[in-house]
Amino acid sequence: MTNLDIIMVIVRVSISAFVPLCFLAVCVTMERRVAGFIQDRSGPNRAGICGIRAGGLVQNLADGLKLAFKEDIISEHVEHKFLYVLAPIISMAAAIISFALVPFADTLVLDGKSYVMQGIPWDTGILWFLAITGFSVYGIILAGWSSTNKYSLLGALRSASQVISYEIPMGLAVISLLIVYGSINLSDIARFQGQTWLGFIPMWGILLQPLAAVIFIVAAFAECNRTPFDLAEGESELVAGFHLEYSAMKFAVFFMGEYVAMFASSAVIVTLFFGGYNIPFFDTDFLIRNIKPVAFVLLVILPVFMFYFAKWIRRNNRSQYLRENDPRKAEATIYIRCFWILIAIIEVFLLAILAFAQPDTAAAHLLVALMQICTFLIKVTLMLFVYVWVRWTIPRFRYDQLQMLGWQKLLPLALLNIFVTGAIVVALG
Amino acid sequence: MYIDTLFSIFALIAIAGSLGLVLFRHPMQSALCLAVTMISLAGIYALLSAKLIFLLQLIVYAGAVMAMIVFIIMFLNLREKDLPEERERFTYLIGGAVLLIPVAWFMIKVMKSIPGVKNSIVGNGFGSIKELGQVLFTNWLVPFEIISLLLLVTLVGAVVLAGIRRESND
Amino acid sequence: MAAKVKQLPSRGGTPAEKVYLIEIFKGMAITLKHFLRNLWDNSNLYVRHYPEVQPDIPARWRGRHRLLTHPDGTPKCVACFMCQTNCPADCIMIKAGTRIDGVTEKMPVSFTIDLAECIYCGYCVEACPEDAIRMDTGIYAFTSSNREEMKIGMTEMLSLKGGFPEEEYQKGLEGE
Ligand code: SF4
Ligand code: SF4
Repeated sequence: MTNLDIIMVIVRVSISAFVPLCFLAVCVTMERRVAGFIQDRSGPNRAGICGIRAGGLVQNLADGLKLAFKEDIISEHVEHKFLYVLAPIISMAAAIISFALVPFADTLVLDGKSYVMQGIPWDTGILWFLAITGFSVYGIILAGWSSTNKYSLLGALRSASQVISYEIPMGLAVISLLIVYGSINLSDIARFQGQTWLGFIPMWGILLQPLAAVIFIVAAFAECNRTPFDLAEGESELVAGFHLEYSAMKFAVFFMGEYVAMFASSAVIVTLFFGGYNIPFFDTDFLIRNIKPVAFVLLVILPVFMFYFAKWIRRNNRSQYLRENDPRKAEATIYIRCFWILIAIIEVFLLAILAFAQPDTAAAHLLVALMQICTFLIKVTLMLFVYVWVRWTIPRFRYDQLQMLGWQKLLPLALLNIFVTGAIVVALG
Repeated sequence: MYIDTLFSIFALIAIAGSLGLVLFRHPMQSALCLAVTMISLAGIYALLSAKLIFLLQLIVYAGAVMAMIVFIIMFLNLREKDLPEERERFTYLIGGAVLLIPVAWFMIKVMKSIPGVKNSIVGNGFGSIKELGQVLFTNWLVPFEIISLLLLVTLVGAVVLAGIRRESND
Repeated sequence: MAAKVKQLPSRGGTPAEKVYLIEIFKGMAITLKHFLRNLWDNSNLYVRHYPEVQPDIPARWRGRHRLLTHPDGTPKCVACFMCQTNCPADCIMIKAGTRIDGVTEKMPVSFTIDLAECIYCGYCVEACPEDAIRMDTGIYAFTSSNREEMKIGMTEMLSLKGGFPEEEYQKGLEGE
């Protein structure tokens, strides 16, 4: 192992472990503010440190602090205290590990060695995801059962049977995808989607396998216990579902586990159906070979984008009522300056690349990898937005409707899809 | 060396899990111990670079089967007071262990008599999905189909049995 | 008057609606429209920026109670206990005493309302034969860190002024 190897291991593992955790802040903020905007209200926008509220991000900090300093109660009636404490840990750990095999950039070639950009460079991709999400059921069951509480038990029953039954259509949808891609390795799958069809249509999973995409996404919503399938926490009937008895940090861990699972499943959805880390129309080779034009285009686009972004910040970050020396205007100026400084730093790097880098050098590879990571994260954020968007649009299903949908609609459709896909693939050779 | 250490760790966890399965009183704890055993067995499969078996062990046994068992135990919602009193369980346990000694001795003997296979790196792609699939669908096609028929029979049987119950309830 | 019955056509029967996804996308288009409009310019939000922007309170609003006074500053209340009897929340506590200046026979010695229990129904105002108690101060927000402070006494209620001109208040009453 050379030093470079060790550094790459650390980088990859920390990306795949900490990015989901950092995205918690994005998820929670997005959930609240998008919910607000969809309902024509504003969402949390008051909490701030010295007037800096960062668009609601500081509210998360406040809530996190609140949860951390709350009293952590284990009720007297909880008989199996060990299992009770274990449950949130299982939920959270399963959520984080399930992201480990998702590639966030194309294989990086440095010094003639290639590094697979996954947390664990293993080629069992999607099966790993299915295996680990299966484990999250344990967290739910243990939480509901060890709480010794009827509401928790009912919530856990619903939630667990829902997760178990939706795993089947999910797995079947994956099979028809695998027939098309010919591999279970998520890196291979992502690379496959980098190709284009007739030169201009990207070969994304959603275009090749629309039915599988619908089935998989619906099943993923159910697996994450998100609306419209969040019967487990149906507030009106079950108070809060399986995590009813949990308080303070133990509740927070459940909560975080839920959002990390959401992140992981959006990452998998993006990798399977929306081209993964691929920038549409530009595959990795093309980018590396044409690193100078690419850097130049970025160099021009970024300030233009920033100009309009600054305008947007100005327009939206002001007090909506008469106020002398509006402090929010000063706040907006601070944000805009910070962003401009960031852009300036990136520009300097791009200029350096433009001036010195040759195609197919380490710098070119690194720049392309970074661009792909950004693309991947943007795609995942959009998918997370879809999760939030659906949650604040669609009302909850009834429980029998949910099981009916899973077993009577999605399952036969997924089976049919496998046969049709197999027939077409065989017919086309 | 490091494989050996990992193997011993997995083996110890597996044994501890199965001991817990027998010794714990509450079915939920026993079931979870069994799940631990399943997972550490999966770890041993992974050490043998049998990737597919490792994943199937995780998905099917640790994920689906054990989750079903735990789910059903949760469904029954057994509490400490519902459990039967087992006064002489330790007597039975020890008796069972004593009875097993000859079998174990015999097994150890068999193991020892197997000619030592030299440790060697297995061929590229061993245990991976493609190779396994190819073998399964060429050399072992008939047994594979027969097994799937068996599963189908069980499935239909379960549906039929459930149907009969419903009628008699009406 | 016969109850108004509005017949809504039953939805969900056509094949396009049975597929469900199409309808979901329609709904999602609506919410997305709202989201984008508000993201583009958040002055479109239907939000009152509350502590800074105060709501308009109409004269009929039932706010905090006050006791009215005669022109000479003495309470109008005759301690008839109508309000106390009528109060569904049982939160008015009146102690009656004799009135010595001869205007009426009785007057309250103490008059306490527990605002933590009051449900702001306004029955006390309606019950009062002397128009001695009103809820027209326009104060709608009061908090305190302990229960005792939520009980307001006679002096405090006498000192409060009405939040609206008299004509407007009377106009508000006409509707009832
Ligand atoms: S408003 Fe209603 S509840 Fe409050 S004091 Fe008057 S009668 Fe009692
Ligand atoms: S406020 Fe009015 S109703 Fe109440 S005791 Fe006084 S006069 Fe009677």
